Amino acid sequence: MNLVLIGVNHKSAPLEVRERLAIPAARLEDATLSLLSVPCVREGMILSTCNRVEFLTYQEPAQADLLEFIRNYFAVDTEALRPYLYEYRASEVVRHLFRVASSLDSLVVGEPQILGQVKGSYTVARSIGGVNSTLEPLMQRAFTVARKVRNRTSIGVSSVSIASVAVDLARKIFGSLQGKTVLLMGAGKMGELAARSLMHQGAGKIYLCNRTDERAAELTEKFSSCSHAASQSGASPSPVAQAIPYASLHEVAATADIIVSSTGSEKPIFLRQHAEIYMHRRKQRPMFFIDIAVPRDVDPEIDRVEGIFVYNIDDLQTVAISNLSNRAKEALDAEAIVRDEVERYTRRMHSLDGVPSIVALQESLEEVRQNELRRMASRLSHLSSEQMRAVEQMTRSLVHKLQHAPIQAIKRAAQEGDRETLAVIQSVFDLEHHAKETENVPAAENIQNASPPTAMAAERNNESAFVPAPDATRPAGSGSKSAPKSISEKEDCLP
Amino acid sequence: MAMYLIWLRVALVLYGVSSLTVIPDVLTSHDRWRKFVQPVCVSAFYFHLVALVEMMRLTHHWVPASLHEVETSFALLLTITFLAIYWRYRAISFGMFVLPVIFLLLLVPAAHPDHAPVSNQWMHNGWILLHIALLLVAYTLLLFSLLSSLLYLIQERRLKNKQIGGIFSHLPPLDTIDQIAFRTLVIGLPCMTLGLLAGSLIAQESVGAAYFLDPKVLLSIGMWVLYVSMLYVRRHTGLRGKRAVYLSSLVFLMALTVWVANQFSTVHRFAAP
Repeated sequence: MNLVLIGVNHKSAPLEVRERLAIPAARLEDATLSLLSVPCVREGMILSTCNRVEFLTYQEPAQADLLEFIRNYFAVDTEALRPYLYEYRASEVVRHLFRVASSLDSLVVGEPQILGQVKGSYTVARSIGGVNSTLEPLMQRAFTVARKVRNRTSIGVSSVSIASVAVDLARKIFGSLQGKTVLLMGAGKMGELAARSLMHQGAGKIYLCNRTDERAAELTEKFSSCSHAASQSGASPSPVAQAIPYASLHEVAATADIIVSSTGSEKPIFLRQHAEIYMHRRKQRPMFFIDIAVPRDVDPEIDRVEGIFVYNIDDLQTVAISNLSNRAKEALDAEAIVRDEVERYTRRMHSLDGVPSIVALQESLEEVRQNELRRMASRLSHLSSEQMRAVEQMTRSLVHKLQHAPIQAIKRAAQEGDRETLAVIQSVFDLEHHAKETENVPAAENIQNASPPTAMAAERNNESAFVPAPDATRPAGSGSKSAPKSISEKEDCLP
Repeated sequence: MAMYLIWLRVALVLYGVSSLTVIPDVLTSHDRWRKFVQPVCVSAFYFHLVALVEMMRLTHHWVPASLHEVETSFALLLTITFLAIYWRYRAISFGMFVLPVIFLLLLVPAAHPDHAPVSNQWMHNGWILLHIALLLVAYTLLLFSLLSSLLYLIQERRLKNKQIGGIFSHLPPLDTIDQIAFRTLVIGLPCMTLGLLAGSLIAQESVGAAYFLDPKVLLSIGMWVLYVSMLYVRRHTGLRGKRAVYLSSLVFLMALTVWVANQFSTVHRFAAP
C-alpha cells in the first residue's frame, strides 16, 4: 500500500500557516491536477477546509516529493513549514482518513460538515481521474465507516454551541419551529447568532427591539437581507423581520414563542408579572426565554411560571459542556469502530498482496499437470474419451488438493504481513522464476492458456467486488489534455 | 386447542419482547432499538388481529361480549392507536406504557378459552356492536390522552430542571405531546357520545324509561359530562401540565368506575340464563 498523506490541521499548525496552504473550492480542481502531475503520484486528492489542508496520494513507487509540490504550488518556504506538517504512510493513512471522515479528528468532535467536505474533495478528484482503483475503495470505505460511526454511536446527536443548544431546546418545546415567532431583544452578538439559527430552522417571524430605534432598524436591515439570501438559496421560507419600538415591547412579547434577550441592561427587563400576563394572553401556550445577557435580562422568578422555560447563559453552557463530554464518551466507541475497520481494511489489502503468488502457484501447478498429460498422451491413446475425461478430472482434483495447503499458507502470511514466509513459499515452489517466464509470454497468449482454477476465481471475484475497474471510475473526459497522465504514461518513477 | 389461542400466544410473546425492547429505546439516547421494536410490534399486531377474527368466527358473532373478547379487542385498539401515533408523530415513548398494558390484557385470553356463556339474543344486534365498538374506541383514546398528559408533565419537569440528556431524552416535544393529548380527546368525544346514545336506545327498547335510574347509566352520563367539561376547559383556557393530568385522571377514574358499575347494574347484563 503505497499510500502517502501529508498535511496540516488545527492541531499541528496555527491559522497563519493553514491559511497559506488553504485552497478555495474554485481552485481545488486545478490544485488536484497539479498534484497528479507530480512524478510517481498515480492517484491523488486534496482536502481543504478551514481546519485542515491534506494531500492524499497513491504513489508507485512511494518516492514522490510532495514537499517540492507544496513549495512550487503555494510558493512557500517548506523548511519553515516542516514543523507543522504531518506525514502518514500505508495503514496510518487509512486510519487517519477514517478518523477524519468520521469527524474524530475535527476541532469539534462529531460535527457533521466534515463528511460533506471530504465527499466534495473526492468528487472533484474523481471527476478529473485522480481517484481510481486504489483510492476509490479506500474512499468508499471511509464513507461507510463514517456512516457506521454516525449510526452506531450518538457522536453527532447533541449540540455543542450556544446557538445550536438554543435551537435544540426550542425544538424540544415546540417540535418544528416552522411559523414560530421570535423576539430578539438587544443587539448582543451571541443573541443575534441564536436568533439567526432559529430563523434558519424555519421561524416564521422575527421582531427586533432595542432601546435605540436606529440600532433596531439596523438589525432589521441585516436580518431582512439574510432572510432574503436564505430564501433565494432555498434554505427556508423567508421570515419577516420587523423592528418594534421599546415602548411596545411587552405588548409584542406576549405574541412571541421564543424571546432571545442580550441587552446591556443593569436590571431585568422581563419580570414575573409580565410573564403571567403573557401566559394569560397566550392561553398557557409555552414560551421559551433565552437569556444571554450578563447581568440577566430575565427575572429568575419567571422560571416558576408554568409553561415558561428560561435558559440563561450558564444553563446553555452547561448543556453544551455536558453534550461535549457525552461526545467524548461516544468518541471512545467511535475510535473502537475505526480501529476495527482499519484492521479489516489493511488485512484485506495485505491479502490482495498475496494474490500474485497464488496466481503464480496455480499456474505453475497447472503447467506441470498439462505437461505430464502431454508426455503421457501416446501411452494413454488407447483410452476411450470417457476414460480420458476421468483421467483429466483425477489429475485436476489432485492438483487442487495439493495446492490447497500452500494457498492457505500464502493467504495467512499475506494477511499477517509475514514477508519471510511468503518468500519461503515462493522459493519452494519457484514462483518468482515462473512469474518471470509468464511475463515473457505475450498477454493474449497468457490469457488463452490460463485455466481458471477455483480458488483463484474466488479471489478474483472478491477483488473485483472490492476494487472497481479503473475504467469504471475514470470519467469520460479524462483522456483530454488537462487530464493527468495514466500509469503507463508516467515517467521518472524508477528507483 | 383452538388455532386462535396459538396466534394469540404468538402475539403475546411478541408484545412481551417489544415491551422489553422499547425500554432502552425510550430511556437511552440510542435509537438502534427502534429498528427492532417497530417490526416486532407490527408482527404482534398481525397475529393479534388474526387471533381476534378467528375467535369471533368460532363464536359465530361479531360483538365482543365475553370478557376475553373485550380484553382482546381493547388490546387491539390500543395497538392500533399506538402504531398510528408512532407513524404520525414518531412518538415511541407511548410504547413504554402501552405495550406492557397490552401484554397484561392478553395474558388471560391467551391462557385458556372463555367458557362464560353470553345471551344469544343480543349477539346479532347491530346497535350493540356499535355501542361496544364506539365505547372501546373512546376508552382507548381516553387512555392515550391521559398518557399524553403524563408524558407532558415529565417533559415539562425535565425542561424546567434543565435535564436535557439521559433518561427520557427521546420524549417527543412538548407541543407534540399536547397535540396528541388534545386530538385523542377530540376524536374520542363523538365516539363516546354515539356509543352512549346507542346504549340508551337499546336500554329504552328493552327496559323502558326505568333504565335511566340504573347506577351504570347515571355514572355513564356523569362521565360524559366530565369528559365534555374537560374538553371545554382545555380548549378555552389552554389547560396543560399538572392540572391537565389531574383532570384527565379524574375522567379516566370515572370511566373505570363506569366499567366496574356493571356489577350493580340491572339493565347492563348479557349473561345467558
